[in-house]
Amino acid sequence: MEIAFYLSGLVAVLATLGVITNTNPVHALLYLIVSLIAVALVFCALGAPFAGALEVIVYAGAIMVLFVFVVMMLNLSDTVEAQERAWLKPRIWLGPSVLSGVLLLTLIAILWLGDGGRVIEGETLTAKAVGSILFGPWLLVVELAAMLLLAALVTASHVGRLSSPAGSAGRREPDARKEAS
Amino acid sequence: MMLTTTHLLALMPILLVCATALVVMLGIAWQRHHTAVAVVTVAGLSLALLSLIAVWGLAPLATPMLAIDGLSLFAATLILMAALACTALGHAYLAHHQGPREEFYLLLLCATAGGMVLAASTHLATLFLGLELLSMPLYGMLAYTYRERRSLEAGIKYLVLSAAATATLLFGMALLYAETGRLDFAGLTASLAGSPGVWSLAGAGLMLAGLGFKLSVVPFHLWTPDVYEGGPGPAATFLATASKVAVFVVLLRLMLAAPVFGEGWLHGVLAVMAVLTMLVGNLLALTQANLKRLLGYSSIAHFGYLLTALVIGEGLAVEASGIYLVVYLCTTLAAFGVVTLVSSPYHGEDAAVLHHYRGLFWRRPYLTAVLTVALLSLAGIPFTAGFIGKFYIIALGVEAGRWWLVGGVIAGSAIGLFYYLRVMVTLYLTEAGMQRRDAPANWGMSAGGIVVLGMAVLIVVLGIYPAPMIDWVQALGMTATG
Repeated sequence: MEIAFYLSGLVAVLATLGVITNTNPVHALLYLIVSLIAVALVFCALGAPFAGALEVIVYAGAIMVLFVFVVMMLNLSDTVEAQERAWLKPRIWLGPSVLSGVLLLTLIAILWLGDGGRVIEGETLTAKAVGSILFGPWLLVVELAAMLLLAALVTASHVGRLSSPAGSAGRREPDARKEAS
Repeated sequence: MMLTTTHLLALMPILLVCATALVVMLGIAWQRHHTAVAVVTVAGLSLALLSLIAVWGLAPLATPMLAIDGLSLFAATLILMAALACTALGHAYLAHHQGPREEFYLLLLCATAGGMVLAASTHLATLFLGLELLSMPLYGMLAYTYRERRSLEAGIKYLVLSAAATATLLFGMALLYAETGRLDFAGLTASLAGSPGVWSLAGAGLMLAGLGFKLSVVPFHLWTPDVYEGGPGPAATFLATASKVAVFVVLLRLMLAAPVFGEGWLHGVLAVMAVLTMLVGNLLALTQANLKRLLGYSSIAHFGYLLTALVIGEGLAVEASGIYLVVYLCTTLAAFGVVTLVSSPYHGEDAAVLHHYRGLFWRRPYLTAVLTVALLSLAGIPFTAGFIGKFYIIALGVEAGRWWLVGGVIAGSAIGLFYYLRVMVTLYLTEAGMQRRDAPANWGMSAGGIVVLGMAVLIVVLGIYPAPMIDWVQALGMTATG
């Protein structure tokens, strides 16, 4: 298990270096996904499979897909096709693939050896334990997090508003967007 | 420890503010009405303020991750009062704002709840969430009039810098957790007793940097004047009062709990930061021609004075910082309130440049009197509340024999007197034929005007007869340490 921990930790560091050294946003995002998956494996090795699963589902799954989509949608020029071709050069996908391959091999090795329940130190934290803490003594914190998200949402919706007069916000939006572009 | 009914009762003020935020949100979704939303906000905040009296009987009580003791009740009172004042000022300010006005109150309520949680936190998780819940709505409030370039700039500047400070804070927490395996203050204190290691010291230092940013203590103060200048009046008022009070109280709680800050080089760093904050804040304020920037620098200096109480941390330290916070809150509310009223109702950039205030006395004598009282109190002239606060700080320093700190306070006050008087002189000069901004003719009748007048009266009354305030802070301070 120690090997799994250090190997995925190393992958996380290398992939994060890839994120900050890449000039192309999409390539950087590929590395970011690998980095997040590596962190998920680190969580598993530390005995928190629930946190690891959440990391994969929420970050590597939902948020990253959103990121990639937005970045790709912003590139709406004529050179898109050439760019797409350039993005698929082996040099580009080789790095993330190798790093993901290492992670996959680690995962398979763990499963093959059959010590999925073992952790580097301490005991395994299950989803049940996390849930009973979150909705027991930490209940207030969960509710506060909800308030925080509400405030963030209201801030974003207010500052992101395109047209000013109240009431006609929905109808005037397309016009304003046209003006902006 | 599970949440019980008693705990929920003790958390009533926070829950009431959160509930009001939800009511306001649903109200906005149903039908927009500026005055109705403001009235609901004021009602909710007042209910929370009243519920503090009921909660007083339960204190001190430790709920999971939050402590309902004298210190947190004290902070909650100040934060709720500041929020009420900001609501009243916001109603006058946003009266003619083009575009949605109601979201401001929703954000204000969220930030108030965050401040109350932060001041009561005894756990790093609530500290972090409270701080974020306090800062996140402030981004929106500062950028509220985002068509104004400066307002948007203030919002984005605060967002980026505050996110960096939060990252520092989180990193410090992670180091402390890695070292001790605990997140609650009591556990941290127990684990760090004796000689703290390098990593714990680094963690505590990083946390200090993160919180110091929010208090705009000197090496981390660069954002303050720009954000104060750009943000709309009520938002800047809230940032200067409630937000700073909450962060200072949590820092005080940390200092009282954690021995890491008590001795060793971290203590020395704190003392140097205190002296630097007083001097740099006051020196930079000297050349300002913008009243909001000037008040920003002056608030930096005032938190330098307050840090003195933290550095000494014994004897009357809790009482002195409590009294200074009350005084600072009243004075800042009055000063920023006048700036907001002169800029109300909103049409374009706030009137903050000094020449806008030239000859204000001849047009609005009472409003000028309020601003004069506030500036005198900021300067610490006798017969104003500011004098009582400064007196406490200097007495504390003299008693502890910290002559460098006392010297810093005195030098800072001397420099401060100059620029406060400079503003006052401008107020009473004869009017020039320049373009001018003015408060609405009936400002005294509006809610914001009443708040500002009340604060001015309070400053004078507390300056002449401070005994009730001192008794109150003493009574609250007793349960804080017990």
